[in-house]
Amino acid sequence: MSSAPEMKGNAEINNSKWLDAHYDPVANLYTFSSCIALADLHGDGENKLVVGDLGTGSCNMKLKVYRGTGLMSENTLLDLPTGLVAFLMDQHEPRTPAIAVASGPFIYVYKNLRPYFKFTLPPLDVNALEQDVWNQAREDMIDPLSLKEMLDGIRDKADIPLSVRSLRFLMLDPQDMEAFVNLYKEQPIRRQTVITCISTLKKNMADEDAVSCLVIGTESKDVYILDPEAFTILSKMSLPSAPTQMDVTGQFDVEFRITVACRNGNIYILRRDSQKPKYCIELSSHPVGLVRIGKNVVVGCAQETLQGFTQKGKKLWTVCLPAPVTTMGVMDLPTRGFQAVLVGLANCEVHLYRDKNLVSTIKTPDVVTSICFGRYGREDGTLIMTTKGGGLIVKILKRTAVIDDKDAAPGPPLAQSIRLNVPKKTKLYVDQTMRERENAVAMHRAFQMDLSRLRLAAARAYVKALESSLTPMSSSLSEPLKMNAVVQGLGPSFKLTLNIQNTAACRPVMNLAISFLYDESLYSMRTAFFKIPLLVPGLNYPIDTFVECLSDKGISDIIKVFVLREGKSAPLLTAHINMPVSEGLPLN
Amino acid sequence: MKTAICHHVDFFTSGVCMLNNKVGRVIEAIISETSGIRRKMGLFDKLAGWLGLKKKEVNVLCLGLDNSGKTTIINHLKPTNAQTQDIVPTIGFSIEKFKTSSLSFTVFDMSGQGRYRNLWEHYYKEGQAIIFVVDSGDKLRMVVAKEELDTLLNHPDIKHRRIPLLFFANKMDVRDALSSVKVSQLLCLENIKDKPWHICASDAVKGEGLQEGVDWLQDQIRTMKT
Repeated sequence: MSSAPEMKGNAEINNSKWLDAHYDPVANLYTFSSCIALADLHGDGENKLVVGDLGTGSCNMKLKVYRGTGLMSENTLLDLPTGLVAFLMDQHEPRTPAIAVASGPFIYVYKNLRPYFKFTLPPLDVNALEQDVWNQAREDMIDPLSLKEMLDGIRDKADIPLSVRSLRFLMLDPQDMEAFVNLYKEQPIRRQTVITCISTLKKNMADEDAVSCLVIGTESKDVYILDPEAFTILSKMSLPSAPTQMDVTGQFDVEFRITVACRNGNIYILRRDSQKPKYCIELSSHPVGLVRIGKNVVVGCAQETLQGFTQKGKKLWTVCLPAPVTTMGVMDLPTRGFQAVLVGLANCEVHLYRDKNLVSTIKTPDVVTSICFGRYGREDGTLIMTTKGGGLIVKILKRTAVIDDKDAAPGPPLAQSIRLNVPKKTKLYVDQTMRERENAVAMHRAFQMDLSRLRLAAARAYVKALESSLTPMSSSLSEPLKMNAVVQGLGPSFKLTLNIQNTAACRPVMNLAISFLYDESLYSMRTAFFKIPLLVPGLNYPIDTFVECLSDKGISDIIKVFVLREGKSAPLLTAHINMPVSEGLPLN
Repeated sequence: MKTAICHHVDFFTSGVCMLNNKVGRVIEAIISETSGIRRKMGLFDKLAGWLGLKKKEVNVLCLGLDNSGKTTIINHLKPTNAQTQDIVPTIGFSIEKFKTSSLSFTVFDMSGQGRYRNLWEHYYKEGQAIIFVVDSGDKLRMVVAKEELDTLLNHPDIKHRRIPLLFFANKMDVRDALSSVKVSQLLCLENIKDKPWHICASDAVKGEGLQEGVDWLQDQIRTMKT
């Protein structure tokens, strides 16, 4: 709450759609979208935020529960969480959801925030040859060195990979091998895989509060569906590659679809009654985020693109993003019938896409690593984000916020696509067009001739001006000068200031004089001719003189200023000063 | 008198998905009907008023987010025999009445749920005072309360009227609840310059702090009328 006021000023400019409910830059939350969930854990109508905190990656892994702006409880996790879901496992009252935390080969199920059940993935088949070799080692028939040789051979050509124990053994230095074999040879070989992603699937009802099965993807390229109460494996499906992200829709007993993004850069779509993927989407780069909107799948790719596909794998659209995708989330507001994709970007922005249209942008103080949108506390449209630096941001969608479908991305303006009301072609227009078409060559020549004449006339006038030094700029090589004149005063006395500048790079100019030419019946000047001091290059020399207007009839004239060089009759510069009308009366 | 028309408006229960303008029209119908009846008050009522037999009537709007305790507060202010035991989330709104030493209050207890908040503005014209209830234990939604309050204060029916605003920083009994001072800071109440306002911490379940607020409101209304 403390930093809410700082955020406010920012947010009002950026985004008036969201209220900044909470920002804690040092919440010490390090997590990803797969490890964050909102659930009414206590059945009191107030949703809590459940986070599987990865800590430093090696220690401090915690299951944290937030209520409102404060941390409500903390449970220590034994290993890194790879996924976290909240799900209803039975029909018992009160209907409080359980939390499943996937970590390593286990799923830890918590009820009422207390450990309730631990599910372990079934062990994988062990390579028969490996088993045989270890059996020999157990009976001390082979020494550790030959064991290593044999395991090496098996590793190179076996279909079934070696167990962790054998791989570990192969890494050891020869002096440690003996002890390792003695320590482990009595124990049976086990090959265990780990969970890579977890999701939920409604069992047989589509209701919001229906019982859900857990769906897990494993490193061994399998997808398992577990019974919600007994945690037995209801179904097993295989994929061509290890899954990384999953989206599940439908009901287990009726029909369901599992969309899985895999490590080989493909997306597979599994359906009920098929052990193998039904459809495959081959992406040009690796998927970073996967979200389903209605019947379409939206994928954020490592190549800074967002792509939309139908549920049968047909590509619908591609949008280029300004920065790499860090995370993705779905924004679902059933009360308003609004669904959109939230895309966290590495440039500290969160973009909201509806189909391919960018409808809103949220600026964040740090790079967002996880996004979760839903009901938090008692507020339906709450957006929860955690940042790379461990911060927690909570924003609430304004009740009055209008998110229009129009693309907020810069592009051709709307007016461009409006058809202009062009009048019908008149007879005159048609005649002119005919004439132009027939006499095109002659018209072009006539135009070019006139254009050339105009240019010639302009050039002549310019040369003449240069020759007679009528310009206030002198471009002669020996005396490059610039002059401008300012007249000050209301009259009848005027102050005339001439600013003269030597524009040469380093050469000073000497022996210059200024002379004025004016109508002596109208004006009088104290000195109509004077010398100019030496002009140092680059400096501006203001030269003042005073002009007296003799007439009181309200007429004015031009005063000509010449900059002259000693011994030369043609002036270097000429300036015409349009004198203003004298508005004052002589004092005497 | 109004109770005859709609003591509890339950057609809103089915009106969750009712179109916005439709709801508006229904409300306009109610409002015109109520004002019609008031015109018919007649000579007898006026006479009773002069003789001091009848208390002055004031319409008060009770607003605030859902679960802030509006209905509980109003319930506690009602006479003991009219109080209900179980409070359920209000749907649409309900009209309640209670009396103080000199005034007879008719309270429009509006539902605070997000989908009903657009109904509030239809009653702004009617209200002669506003009670705004805030859940002081809900720090997260303080911004939402502030947003709704700002929308209320900027509404054309409220903006240029000098009507008293009474704030209840409710649920003061909740652990780590915000103090009334903190609540008034978060709601930026110091920016309300053109209306009299007052905030008091309250616990609607036990009834603490309610009387202080109602007394203030009564004083304000009386000074306004005279």
